[in-house]
Amino acid sequence: MVTSTESLPPPGWDREGLDSLLDAFPEGGLSEIVGPRSSGGGSLLLALLARAASRGGLVALVDGADSFDPETAERAGLDLRALLWVRCGGRLPPAWSAADLLARCPGFAAVALDVGTTWGMGSIAAPPSFGVRLQRAAAGNPAVIVVRAPRHVTGSAAALVVSVRRVRARWVGAPLRIRLGGLVSEARVLRSRFDPRLAAPGRAWLIEWRT
Amino acid sequence: MTRIACLFVPVADERIKPALLEIALRHSPSVEDGGPDIVYLDLGGLERLWGGEEEIARRLHRAACECGAAVRIGIAGSRAGARFAARAGGDITIVPPELDARWLGPAPLALLGLGPEMSARLGRWGIRTLGELADLPVSGLAERLGDEGPRLQRLARGEDATPLRLWTPPPVFEESADCSWGVETLEPLGDLLAGLAEMLCARLRRHELSADAFEWSCRLANRTVHEGACAPAAPLTDSAAAAALLRASLAARPPRAAVEAITLRVRPVRVRNVQPRFDEPPRPSPRLLTATLARLSALVGARDIGSPVILDTHRPDAHQMTPFLLPSPRPSPQRGEGGRENRNPLPRRGRGQGEGAVLAVHRVRPSRSVAVVLHAGAPAHLRAAGLAGRIIAGAGPWRVSGEWWTEAPFVQDEWDVELDDGTLCRLARDGRGWRLEAVYD
Repeated sequence: MVTSTESLPPPGWDREGLDSLLDAFPEGGLSEIVGPRSSGGGSLLLALLARAASRGGLVALVDGADSFDPETAERAGLDLRALLWVRCGGRLPPAWSAADLLARCPGFAAVALDVGTTWGMGSIAAPPSFGVRLQRAAAGNPAVIVVRAPRHVTGSAAALVVSVRRVRARWVGAPLRIRLGGLVSEARVLRSRFDPRLAAPGRAWLIEWRT
Repeated sequence: MTRIACLFVPVADERIKPALLEIALRHSPSVEDGGPDIVYLDLGGLERLWGGEEEIARRLHRAACECGAAVRIGIAGSRAGARFAARAGGDITIVPPELDARWLGPAPLALLGLGPEMSARLGRWGIRTLGELADLPVSGLAERLGDEGPRLQRLARGEDATPLRLWTPPPVFEESADCSWGVETLEPLGDLLAGLAEMLCARLRRHELSADAFEWSCRLANRTVHEGACAPAAPLTDSAAAAALLRASLAARPPRAAVEAITLRVRPVRVRNVQPRFDEPPRPSPRLLTATLARLSALVGARDIGSPVILDTHRPDAHQMTPFLLPSPRPSPQRGEGGRENRNPLPRRGRGQGEGAVLAVHRVRPSRSVAVVLHAGAPAHLRAAGLAGRIIAGAGPWRVSGEWWTEAPFVQDEWDVELDDGTLCRLARDGRGWRLEAVYD
C-alpha cells in the first residue's frame, strides 16, 4: 500500500492497512519494531498482541520499563486473562533473559519484549548474542516473537524489521484544542526475509492511532 | 445375617455430613454415603467390639449429638429397612432380625419416595401403607407396573440385597521431613522440598489427581513457624516442575532461621483430560510453563509476573497483578450437548470488539517530578531527567478526582502536551507539583 503523508485519509481508512501490516509479522520468526518514543511503535505492538489474543492464543509481554497500561490494552481488544505480563522495573538484563526464556516456551501465540520507553534504563544495548539466540528460539516455536525498541537491538537476526515514525499528532477542537485525539504514524518494512516485496522502496503504511 | 444402621438427618446440612461419615467410619469399616441426609454402616461383626445393637446405636447417637447433628438412627436387616426405620421412627429404632416386613407393614407408603404419578396410581388402588403393597400378588403387580412393581414391593418388605457402596475418606496429600540438625541454607532445603514433592506427585499420579496448589511450612530453630504457598499456572503432577516452583517460592520467601522440620501439603484436583481442538491455538504445556514461570520468578520476582486485572475505580493506573493461569481448553462438542463451554475458556474476540487502532499509553511508574514553565497559565516548557523541550501543543487541564469518602482521596489536573521533538506525554499536577504520568507511543 503506497500512501503519502500529505493528505490524510478519513477515519476508519486504516483498518485494512493495519491488518495487512500485522499479517507481515511471521510466526516462527523474530521481528523488530524500531522507532523513537511517540512514533506509534508501542501502539503497533499492542495491536499485534490484541490480534493474537483475539484468535484465542496466549500472549506474553516482557515489559522492560514497567510501562504497560492494562486499561489501554483492554480498550484495544486485548483480553487481559490471556496475557502473561512480566514487569522488569527498568532493569534490562532480566528483560533480555525473560524474553529468551519465554521464546523457548512453546504454546504462546506471541511473545513481545518492549524496551521502547527508556526511562532510567540507560542506553539500550542487548547482549552480543541476544538477537541470534532469540531467532533460534523463534525458529523452534510457532509464535510471533517481537522486540520493540527505539533502535535496532537484534542486529541482522530479525526476519522482519518495521520502522515507525511519527507523522503528526491529532488534536480535537480548533482553534482551542480540547483533547488529544490520536497520532498518525507511518510504518515501513526495512527488512522482510519471508516476503521481500513488503520492503519495497516507497511502500509504507499510514496508520491513525486513536486515544 | 446382615444388619445395617442408617443415620438420618431430618434437616440436611452439608457441613455436618463429613462429621457423620467420620463418626460412622470410627465404628465400622463399611460405610456408605447415602446422599445429603443419609449415612449407612454395616454392623456385621461389631458386637464384640462395641456391644449389642442398642449400645452401638446409643454410641452413634451420642457422637452425632456431640457434633451438633440431630440424627435419627434406624437398624434393620437391609439398607431400605434401616432407612425406613430411621425415617418413620424416633431417635433410635431397632427392627428385630427377620421381622423387617412385619415391622414396616404399618409404615406409610410415602417412605418409598415415589414419584407423583406412581403415588397417585397406588393411591387409586387404595394402597396406603408398605404392608398393603407388600401383600399384593407379585404377578399382578408385574403385569400392571412392569419391573418397577416387584422392585417396589421388595423395598416395601425391607428386602434390599444391594451391597454398600463403600465410602473412603479423601486422601490427605501431605509429607514431612525432620532435620533435627537444622538446615541453614536454601539449597539443601530446596532439595528436601523437591524430595517431598516427588513423593507427593507420585501419590497424586496413583490417584489420577493433579496438584493445584502447594503449601509448605517450616518449623524453625527459634521456635517459630515459617509458611509459604505457591500455585502452578496449571494443575500438574510433574515432580521436576513442582520442585522448580517450590525452590523459587522458597527463594522468594526464605526462612530467617535454621529449619528443623518441613511439611509440604498439596491441594489435589481431578483434571479432566480434554483433547485439544483442531481450531484452537496451542497452549503451553503445564510442565514447561510452570518451569518457565518459576525461572521468571527467580529473575524478576514472583510479584512481577501475572495477568493484570483492572480495579473498579476511577483512580488513574489502578490495576492488580493476579497469578497467570492457563485457561481450561474448550471441550469438543458432544452429541446432544451442543458443545458446552468449560469453566473458564477464553472467549474468541474479533478486532471489532476492541476499538481497533488504539494509541498506546506508556505509564511512567512511579510518576516523575518534572519542572514546568507556565505561560498564560498553560504549560510552555518542560524539563525532566531524559526529557526536555518546548511544549508546542497541549490540551487541559482535565480534573480527575474521586474516592473523597475514603482516607486516600485523589485529585489531580491532567494535561496532554506535545513537545517540540514530537514526544506526546501526559502531565499531572496535584498538591505535590507537576509530574510526568505517561508517554503516548
